[in-house]
Amino acid sequence: MPEEIILETRGVTKRFDGFAAVSGVNYRLREGESAGIIGPNGAGKTTFFNLLTGMFPPTEGTVLYRGADITRIPAHGRVGRGIVRTFQLVSVFDSLTVRENLVLALIRAGKEHAVSARFFLEDAWSGNLPDLSAGALGTVGLREKALWKTSELSYGDKRKLEIALALCLRPSVLLLDEPFAGLSDVEIVEVLELIHRVRKDFTLVIIEHKISRIVDLVSRLSVMHEGKLIAEGEPAEVLADPLVRQVYWGRP
Amino acid sequence: MITTLVYGFTIGGILYILSIGLSLTFGSMRIVNFAHALVYTTGAYFLVVALRTLGLGFLPAAAVATVAVLPIAAGIERFIIRRLYGESLDYAIIATYAVLLIGVDLIKWVFGATPIPLSDPIGRDVGLFGISFPLYRLMIIALAISIHGGLYLFFKRTIVGKIVVAGLEDKDAVRSLGIDVDRYFAIVFLVGSGLAALGGVLYAPITSVHPYMGFQVLLICFAVVIVGGMGSLHGTFLASFALGMVIAITGRYWGPAAETMVYAVMAVVLIFKPLDV
Ligand SMILES: Nc1ncnc2c1ncn2[C@@H]1O[C@H](COP(=O)(O)OP(=O)(O)O)[C@@H](O)[C@H]1O
Ligand SMILES: [Mg+2]
Repeated sequence: MPEEIILETRGVTKRFDGFAAVSGVNYRLREGESAGIIGPNGAGKTTFFNLLTGMFPPTEGTVLYRGADITRIPAHGRVGRGIVRTFQLVSVFDSLTVRENLVLALIRAGKEHAVSARFFLEDAWSGNLPDLSAGALGTVGLREKALWKTSELSYGDKRKLEIALALCLRPSVLLLDEPFAGLSDVEIVEVLELIHRVRKDFTLVIIEHKISRIVDLVSRLSVMHEGKLIAEGEPAEVLADPLVRQVYWGRP
Repeated sequence: MITTLVYGFTIGGILYILSIGLSLTFGSMRIVNFAHALVYTTGAYFLVVALRTLGLGFLPAAAVATVAVLPIAAGIERFIIRRLYGESLDYAIIATYAVLLIGVDLIKWVFGATPIPLSDPIGRDVGLFGISFPLYRLMIIALAISIHGGLYLFFKRTIVGKIVVAGLEDKDAVRSLGIDVDRYFAIVFLVGSGLAALGGVLYAPITSVHPYMGFQVLLICFAVVIVGGMGSLHGTFLASFALGMVIAITGRYWGPAAETMVYAVMAVVLIFKPLDV
């Protein structure tokens, strides 16, 4: 059933002190697709992700996952259902080692891993964690840096680690918030290639400011502007939309 | 002089036991918890009850008093602190200060306002460098150092410790790993409260037990937290002993200025290392 809707919002609105950062958004994500969300700075893209992931509840509206209302389910509960995200500003833990970051990501991965049942950190390494973490680190190309302090990684490596953590959580929907922001050109190519490699395993939504980077990556594009979805469709179609051109380039 | 140093270390030890919970609560939950002083005062009063009403010896009485405070601390966490998440800092200050005031009035109502003196529970001195010190004070210092060691190992070696460390750094990122970080912060809050109660229990025989004892130490504890850095284990440890020493040394030469010096040190620290809240 390729047409099944995995994630949906109905009229979600988020107001901060009366200011509507997200306003009446109806959004549908089909299982297995790769979708993009673009829009100028301050359009409400990150806030929309926060509503999808349950970082805070919407002021109005509902969020549905495979048809079930998850509006009141907190962020950690949604991760358990497979809704996983990364942040616009890389969010890995500088005060831990790379491997300790992975331990945290594997706590919720289930009882089959040693982590959830262990008290001491050292004991966590006794199960299949070494293989799992090596696997995840191998996927993103950080295997040699497992014992590094995270604070010593480059920003690009931190982004790759963040994606490795997300992969450990076995996402059914992965939401990437501007994964290329702050990376060098070389790193952008590496992360793009990484996303291409892993995206077959889940439904993907990617927020990006620069349209050109994700046109090849996504099959559907949504445009946000001032908290509203103003256009949606195939990338070429959307980019030809006069309203979108007006918002992006100031002319139709 | 050595007497002054031991006095300073004793105060430092008590300050550490008292402040570490405050520091961790601030660092993790971003809440300035004035009710911490109530937990401390309650610990001291529960000690009085355990000693006088239940007739227990000091060690069992101290244990009973510390443990008996935990349900109260859990109630404060569940019904007050948890509702303050995401609210502004000053809102939390007002709410927890109200809890402190109400609690202190309750204590006055139940136990009266008259200070209750307690005697040194060990009542033995030991000789050191040819000077004799109350063994009780030396034991407080040793206990504070062991508690610090225990907490250090907890944060360094256990998975729960790592969750808390990560949560101190970025709470939302921990939530996004599917971890109910508030639950772990609640554990930290309980441990910190238990230590505050223990601090009240340990300090009671040195001063005296009265309803306002919490107010006295609260501001000094805030100074410790600010000087040591919020949420920092080692920082709180060092700041406790440094400020304990400041109190002891200033007190030796000019008693009334002892506490004022603490705030002077805090002011200097704030000038060179402004708070980022
Ligand atoms: N926690 C918040 N409190 C107040 N305003 C916020 C908050 N988060 C976002 N906003 C505001 O909402 C608007 C949309 O922000 P955001 O979702 O980050 O946009 P984008 O990700 O598209 O750049 C901005 O004007 C921003 O200032
Ligand atoms: Mg954004």
